[in-house]
Amino acid sequence: MKLLEKLWRALDERYDLQPLLAFAKEKSVPCHRHDWMYYFGGLTLFFFAVQVATGILLLLYYRPTAEAAFESVQFMMTRVPFGWLIRSIHSWSANLMIASAFVHMFTVFFSGAYVKPRELTWWTGAALLLLALGFGFSGYLLPWNELAFFATRVGTDMVSKVPFVGHWLLKVLRGGEDVTGATLTRFFGIHVAVLPMITTFLIVLHLAFIQRQGIHVPEGEKPVRTRPFFPNFVLREAMVWLVGLALLAALAAFFPWELGKKADPFAPAPAGIKPEWYFLFMFETLKLLPAKVAGIEGEILGLAAFTVGGLFWFLAPLWDKRRARGARNPWALAVGWVVLLYIASFTVLSYLGVFK
Amino acid sequence: MKWMPAASLFLLALPALAAPPSPAVGPPGKPAQDTCTECHQALDDPRLQHPATLAADDIHHRQGITCAGCHGGDPTAEDPQQAMDPKKGFVGKIPAQRIPEVCGSCHSDASFMLRYAPNIPTDQLAQYRTSKHGLGLAKGDTRVATCASCHGAHGVLPASDARSPVYPTRIVETCERCHGNKALMANYRISGQEVADYKQSVHYNALTVKNDLSAPTCNDCHGSHGATPPGVASVSNVCGNCHLTQREAFDLSPHKDAFAALEQPACEACHGNHKVLPPQDSWIGVGEGQVCGSCHSASDQGAQVAAALFGALDGTVKRLEAAHARVEQLEARGMLMDEAAVQLEEAHQALVLARNEVHTANRARVEAQTSQAQQALAKAEGLAKAAEEELRFRHNGLKISLAVILVAVVALALKIREIESRSQ
Repeated sequence: MKLLEKLWRALDERYDLQPLLAFAKEKSVPCHRHDWMYYFGGLTLFFFAVQVATGILLLLYYRPTAEAAFESVQFMMTRVPFGWLIRSIHSWSANLMIASAFVHMFTVFFSGAYVKPRELTWWTGAALLLLALGFGFSGYLLPWNELAFFATRVGTDMVSKVPFVGHWLLKVLRGGEDVTGATLTRFFGIHVAVLPMITTFLIVLHLAFIQRQGIHVPEGEKPVRTRPFFPNFVLREAMVWLVGLALLAALAAFFPWELGKKADPFAPAPAGIKPEWYFLFMFETLKLLPAKVAGIEGEILGLAAFTVGGLFWFLAPLWDKRRARGARNPWALAVGWVVLLYIASFTVLSYLGVFK
Repeated sequence: MKWMPAASLFLLALPALAAPPSPAVGPPGKPAQDTCTECHQALDDPRLQHPATLAADDIHHRQGITCAGCHGGDPTAEDPQQAMDPKKGFVGKIPAQRIPEVCGSCHSDASFMLRYAPNIPTDQLAQYRTSKHGLGLAKGDTRVATCASCHGAHGVLPASDARSPVYPTRIVETCERCHGNKALMANYRISGQEVADYKQSVHYNALTVKNDLSAPTCNDCHGSHGATPPGVASVSNVCGNCHLTQREAFDLSPHKDAFAALEQPACEACHGNHKVLPPQDSWIGVGEGQVCGSCHSASDQGAQVAAALFGALDGTVKRLEAAHARVEQLEARGMLMDEAAVQLEEAHQALVLARNEVHTANRARVEAQTSQAQQALAKAEGLAKAAEEELRFRHNGLKISLAVILVAVVALALKIREIESRSQ
């Protein structure tokens, strides 16, 4: 103990750490009926950390070319000690991270935490969710299996619907006219370099905003008692993380992530191509739209509607002024429920095969 | 109209048909122009109108051959009396006896047929004359099939056209029109059951369900124009055209000479002729419903060999099925079993070869293949065992991890309780 105290004193002398310690001791977290929702942001962060750790391990063996990608993942799954575990955890953790981020977003929306003065926290959070979806989309292709190949072909094809620059964007994204080894290489670059860099930066910002402003307390729960951040809240968060870890381990052990068949660009698309679950509501909606609506291509109209809808959701802090004043806003709640029910019902119905 | 005696008609028409003069035959590749189709299309009597409506699709008409090419007459004359003037060779409806000669007048003429295709066969008439149909016709039996019975009289399509009655997938129905008529077939001491039997065969299934046009239909074994049943000596040659390896194996077997001595048709003795069902390993033996019992008795050496062959195949099949189920189950549990699948496929291939060797009736040759299959199966089973152990290891590892996590969660909960009770 003396050694630790000596070390602390030496560091404190050089870096003046006492104020930081005092801040940590004083920092507290509100305590109320709905404080369970505070754990989901942290849980999402935990899954992100798992992604970084397992992603780095996967990089040791993964080879990002059309010729070798599938075989390298197959090698990892069959030959590398615990390779199956690392890959399965990476895949499951990706899904749980997005699920946890969705829960976090809806709890923030329903509790009205996005309004002034926390607009930037909401916007960085929304950007982080989009980045997570980008991670999912780019990572899905990397094993270069049949389903991923054709799902990516369909997914990237959406970009071509963008007016004027669609075709150019498609070529940039795919690295050519079709999904090829060039697409795989750039998706790999995006997945392991571009997205992690931007995400890390935004996470730091997101956390800094929360740190600076403190955690939001929903109207109707004030005034509240608090509990110390350290150690009480940290230990509770650690418990949630451990449960998340247990869930990951169980999923990886009982449901190792499938690899499927190697992609064959010349083979016909297999039946039942679906994107990952978090894109299903958009995918099924676009499929339901008629080919032409008032002379405009149905898919373009659908994508435009998603863009406008997404933007409306993103700009919630600007149109919801009533909650910023501390008043109730039933309209905002209604919007939240409609969006939640729409996404949840379309996802579930898609899995039930209703849209076939 | 009055019919002229057949012989005189034939003599009238033949010179015109053997070297068809213009305008009965136009330049190849250019559809025929004649007044026959124009007038007949406008007639009310369907019997007379129908042939003309079929002309547009008819291969002859499309190649510039007018109605007069077969019926004689003047295809350029506007006046029906002149167009159908018997003096100009007009013959009206061609009697059945004459049809092969009429068709053969062009189709047997190599120099004439060369105008349409350089590799077209010209021996159909010669073959037909050797066929059961041709022999019957020569004896004056007009119920037998002639060219028009199978190819149609008007609207004749090339055999390669899927609508043609002689296209591979349609031949069965074409032959069935007569050969499915039991009353008609009784006249020839044919049961009339042949086509119905064939429709239950692996060959018909391959042809119609798998759409495999190389699968044999009636004419592949009986011949097209020289249609006749293959004799006892030639059955193995007929089947061996496609089943080459089976035929080679059979040639090595003691059955080859024995069957020849007994005048037994080789393949047919075990597999049947028209109703060729998917072969089963269970056919091998001398018991009831087993094929070896037709010649062998339970006490002879053949029965012992049959039992050994069946044992070798059956043991391999059962082991293969068990290994397959085991590997599938592991795949369903998320294990990658690609290498085991390769071994299973190798075992399956060896089993296919072993089944082929059954035709040699040579125990050593069959067992050489089944032992290859067993070796591949042993490898697959080894891989399955390793995968099962790996799964057990994973699940045990999970249990230990979950226990550790649970202990940590409980410890944290206790610690939190202690901290919070202290601070209150």
